[in-house]
Amino acid sequence: MLPAQQSSPRTLRLWPLFLKTSKGFRGQLLIALTSMVACFIFLFTVPMITRSMLDQLSGEPPDTYSRWISILIPADFDGDAVLYASLGISALLIVMVTAVAGGFIFLRGRAIAAAAEGMARRLRDTLMDHLNHLPMGFHQRFDTGDLIQRCTSDIETFRVFISGQIIEIGRAVLMLIIVTPILLSLDVKMTVIAMITMPVLLISAVLFFGRVKTMFQKVDEAEAALTTVLQENLTGIRVVRAFARQDFERQKFGDANARFRDENQRLFRFLGAYYGASDIVCLFQVGLILIIGAQWVLANEMTVGTLFAFITYESMIIWPIRHMGRVLTDSGKAVVALRRLAEVLSEPVESSTEATLTQPLTGGIKLSNVNFQFEPDQPVLSNLSLTIAPGETVALMGPPGSGKSTLLQLLLRLEDPDSGAIWLDDHRLEDVSRKSIRRQIGVVLQESFLFAGTIGENLRIGRTTADDEALRAAAATADILETIDSLPNGLSTQVGERGVTLSGGQRQRLSIARALLKDPAILILDDALSAVDTDTEASILANLRQQRQNKTTIIVAHRLSTIMQADRIFVLEDGKLSQAGNHESLSQSKGIYQDLCALQGQVQQEILNHRDTKELPV
Amino acid sequence: MTDAFYDDDNTLDEFSPDKDLKLGVWSQLARYALCYPQDLMMLALCAVLVGICEITFPLVTRWVIDDIGSLGAAIDLIFYSGLYGLLCLGLGVGVVGFLWFGGKLRSHMSHDIRRDGFENLQRLSFSYYDQRPVGWLMARMTSDCERLSNIMAWGILDLVWSFTIMLGISGAMLVMEPRLGFIILLSLPALAYISRYFQTRILKSAREVRQTNSRITGAYNENIMGVLTSKVFVKEADNLDKFGKITDRMHGASIQNAVQAAIYLPIVLTLSALATGIALVIGGIESAWGIITTGTLIAFLTYTRHFFEPIEQLAHWFAEMQMAQASAERVMSLIQAESEIRDSEQVEAQIAAHTGSSSLAADGYEQTIDSITFDRVGFSYENGPPILRDINLVLKRGQSVAVVGATGGGKTTLISLLARFYEPTEGSIRINDIDYRNRSLHYLQSNLGVVLQSSHLFKGTISDNIRYGRLDATIDEIHAAALKAGAHPVITEMPEAYDTQISEGGASLSAGQKQLISFARALLADPQILIMDEATSSVDTLTEARIEQGLRVLLQDRISVIIAHRLSTIRHADVILVMEHGQIIEQGNHEALIQLKGRYHHLYQQQSLNNLWGETAPEVDAT
Repeated sequence: MLPAQQSSPRTLRLWPLFLKTSKGFRGQLLIALTSMVACFIFLFTVPMITRSMLDQLSGEPPDTYSRWISILIPADFDGDAVLYASLGISALLIVMVTAVAGGFIFLRGRAIAAAAEGMARRLRDTLMDHLNHLPMGFHQRFDTGDLIQRCTSDIETFRVFISGQIIEIGRAVLMLIIVTPILLSLDVKMTVIAMITMPVLLISAVLFFGRVKTMFQKVDEAEAALTTVLQENLTGIRVVRAFARQDFERQKFGDANARFRDENQRLFRFLGAYYGASDIVCLFQVGLILIIGAQWVLANEMTVGTLFAFITYESMIIWPIRHMGRVLTDSGKAVVALRRLAEVLSEPVESSTEATLTQPLTGGIKLSNVNFQFEPDQPVLSNLSLTIAPGETVALMGPPGSGKSTLLQLLLRLEDPDSGAIWLDDHRLEDVSRKSIRRQIGVVLQESFLFAGTIGENLRIGRTTADDEALRAAAATADILETIDSLPNGLSTQVGERGVTLSGGQRQRLSIARALLKDPAILILDDALSAVDTDTEASILANLRQQRQNKTTIIVAHRLSTIMQADRIFVLEDGKLSQAGNHESLSQSKGIYQDLCALQGQVQQEILNHRDTKELPV
Repeated sequence: MTDAFYDDDNTLDEFSPDKDLKLGVWSQLARYALCYPQDLMMLALCAVLVGICEITFPLVTRWVIDDIGSLGAAIDLIFYSGLYGLLCLGLGVGVVGFLWFGGKLRSHMSHDIRRDGFENLQRLSFSYYDQRPVGWLMARMTSDCERLSNIMAWGILDLVWSFTIMLGISGAMLVMEPRLGFIILLSLPALAYISRYFQTRILKSAREVRQTNSRITGAYNENIMGVLTSKVFVKEADNLDKFGKITDRMHGASIQNAVQAAIYLPIVLTLSALATGIALVIGGIESAWGIITTGTLIAFLTYTRHFFEPIEQLAHWFAEMQMAQASAERVMSLIQAESEIRDSEQVEAQIAAHTGSSSLAADGYEQTIDSITFDRVGFSYENGPPILRDINLVLKRGQSVAVVGATGGGKTTLISLLARFYEPTEGSIRINDIDYRNRSLHYLQSNLGVVLQSSHLFKGTISDNIRYGRLDATIDEIHAAALKAGAHPVITEMPEAYDTQISEGGASLSAGQKQLISFARALLADPQILIMDEATSSVDTLTEARIEQGLRVLLQDRISVIIAHRLSTIRHADVILVMEHGQIIEQGNHEALIQLKGRYHHLYQQQSLNNLWGETAPEVDAT
């Protein structure tokens, strides 16, 4: 598996992807930002109210706020009564203002969740659909684990960016925009003092989190390594036991486990140092205001209320600023994540513009001078020409790597030939849409893949509308019905990792039943009987022959007993057709087939010998 | 798939917020923390330090303001600056300390829990694995371990910190002005109740999000692994449809979770604003009457803002512990599970008593295996129908035994018993006339070479994988083993030959290639017992024939058991067993069984080329 970065050197455009993903959700983002501004405007009035009351208590002359609320106080109140009334009104105001701000917090939370979750869902669905439509070449190139990580962690990183970091950045910026004028209006000199450490804090935070990013990466890597060791040990536990390698495994796991622990611990130490130091800086900043403010209060240059307001506002902005370094680094991660997503999404999917095949195929296949290679100068198929008549049963044989599976891939248009042409009946393959071809071909693959779900659901992949009777009939043909009936829940039995475990042979037979349900014009069995015992194999082949009398069947196999039953046999070697014919003709001409017969012949000879000597009845 | 499969916690129905925490399992977990008593102490000290500093700040503000009021210019600002600086330093040191010690405790605890879990997993018998999918075990060993150690480390920290703050603030308020303090403290139960209520719900919906998230990961995994199947059955649209339902659910659950948090915060803020309001009115009046100073009022106003945080933290951790109860139980049960198959005390004593004489095995018995006897062996899974019945069999050194029969006949179980992956439930298996339950498990298994149907390879190079058979093997020995196994030509065709990297699970290799490599691995081990279960099913017949040439030499001087479907593979075996329905129905060599005209004869004829063959058979050399 090549690392993904090498695969696509083209420049990725992230902005269009972002715009596409955020379409329809930008309104929500705007609501969230507006709510946040409103929320802060309300929350910021609380210290103002408190300040004014404190000043009034200390006997300062009434300010704007006191004059405003005095309107609410009945005119016949005097002295203390006015003070009590304004205290009561202020307390009520504080509660009301906080409640309204709370309402905006709620609005912000809902809007941001709607936007972030909506965008994440869109990305998830888009990726899933895209992955399903990417060519097989892509899937061979990319590691499954890597792809899954992109689909899950990278989308999550992006989601957190939308739901958290955008808002955090917005908040920090707005705080500064809102608080600075308020502070300036209170006291210009003190504002300068209040802002003095902020650039230092911001810059050092950004620098620090740049450094810490590599530590996070190391922790992630250590965790991934640990997971791999564990996963391998657990899936391969039989091998571990069979070779009594527990000590070796313990050592391997112990190393990975210790590395993860140490990286983690190192990260926490680093974080501890940073947070400790930045806490001291923040508190020093607040202390500076306190001490200098106290002197100014002494010199009557400032009121106690103003000092209190300064300290409250300061603590409202300084912690978010300290947090900014973290937020900015995480935003950097979001860009990386989006790039990794764009990398997958910009991979071209299989073309789908061709004409749709409407009428049913008769099953005739013709290849003329087909050439194909996965990598330059390593031809997999060269100048391959062959014809299969409708209704024929043909066998494909040849050593591993001779191009059998590739030939099948071309028939299914999983790949297109580099040159030459393939016809199904008189449709040239490249002119017909992939999906409409695949709808008419049934395939049983080398590695039978079953989806998590019931046996019935897996069979219905062949034909969604099939009723239980049809499922049972197909299962009977594939000689798996008995097995299904012996399971406690029959067709409703769960299969897959969390369901019952089926043997290789049982999986193969289920896949055959699945393909048969499709009742395809062309049926391909790609080494699909290798894990089935010979008795069962013979019965399946007989069933197939009976059911598919006029339909084309292509069988790739290693066993002579399977191959010899075909109407015609194609022998592939090094991507070339080396021999073609039926059993009689091929067994008499020199070649792989004859070698195979000879091998099997030794077996037969013995039986014959026994027959001769012991006069066994035939 | 039902939800229970993805439920890593209690199921929703089971869950009740009033259910008491079971302390037993937590105290067992606490032992992992107690392994680091000094770090634990330091963590608690740091939490107390941070708490005390945080409580003292408003007090310093109060003193300064009051001193200004009473002393005016005579105020000792240098003293207060010093005090403030000290508090800053204390807080900073406390923060460094708790991240340092908490981080250490957390990392070490999850390491230790995982170590013990892994240790036990290496001992547990296969019956344990049969009941638990790998994914389940992985979740226990990774996310559960992290989660529990997080609770233990940061939970302890927050617990100590919260109590320090709450005690400190309550104390300070009550000392400064008992009446006002008491009135404000009255809001505490309401805050606590609301926090509990919401934190529990927030965590519940967070769990729903987590579960749905694992479903999404599962769906991606399945779709990527099965992409070829989807393509050939044109299931792309159906897949998206199905997946859309999961992402819809994720969308719903996530929004629910966010909205719950969005309701909780305003309520708590408003409540604490109420406390501030009360403090302002009563404190204001009292300050006007001269009962309290302005400084005290300011301190009160500051405290009311900081009061809900510790309560929120406590509610959070309490709910988290409740949620993680099931995780804790499962992790502890994994660590404490007893293996059904292990060395008996007697064997352990023998191993301990044995002093390294080279000719004897670690348990003090003969090293060489001359014979293995199955004496009326029967096997069934717990409460299951019998899988094997009345197996009598003697395997002798130098002998090869082939097992044939239909799927489900008990072939694989037979070799699992031989390898002591399981033990017979009836009868006994004896090594040189000693019941193998009285011998060391490690001894038997280190003399095994096994090639299984689905050959598992590890991440690493091909050489690494072959070397797994014998860790101290040289490159030349590895090449020789590969050559004997018929794997050499296949390996040298690969881009980097023996240094070719195999991805996890051997995904980059074909089934046949994997079988050849694991065959080489087994040969390198040079085992006394060689077991091959369908070891060559995915190799083409000609390659298989090549392997067989070498195999005949290799089988000398060992006990070998071969399971195969292809009869050409097995007809040279010294003994052929035909198994059906868990019993040996025919036993003998090839000739004898052919003559018997029973099941074997039938199979053989079936697989050979029926009557057709007689007419077209080419001239061949009879062996």
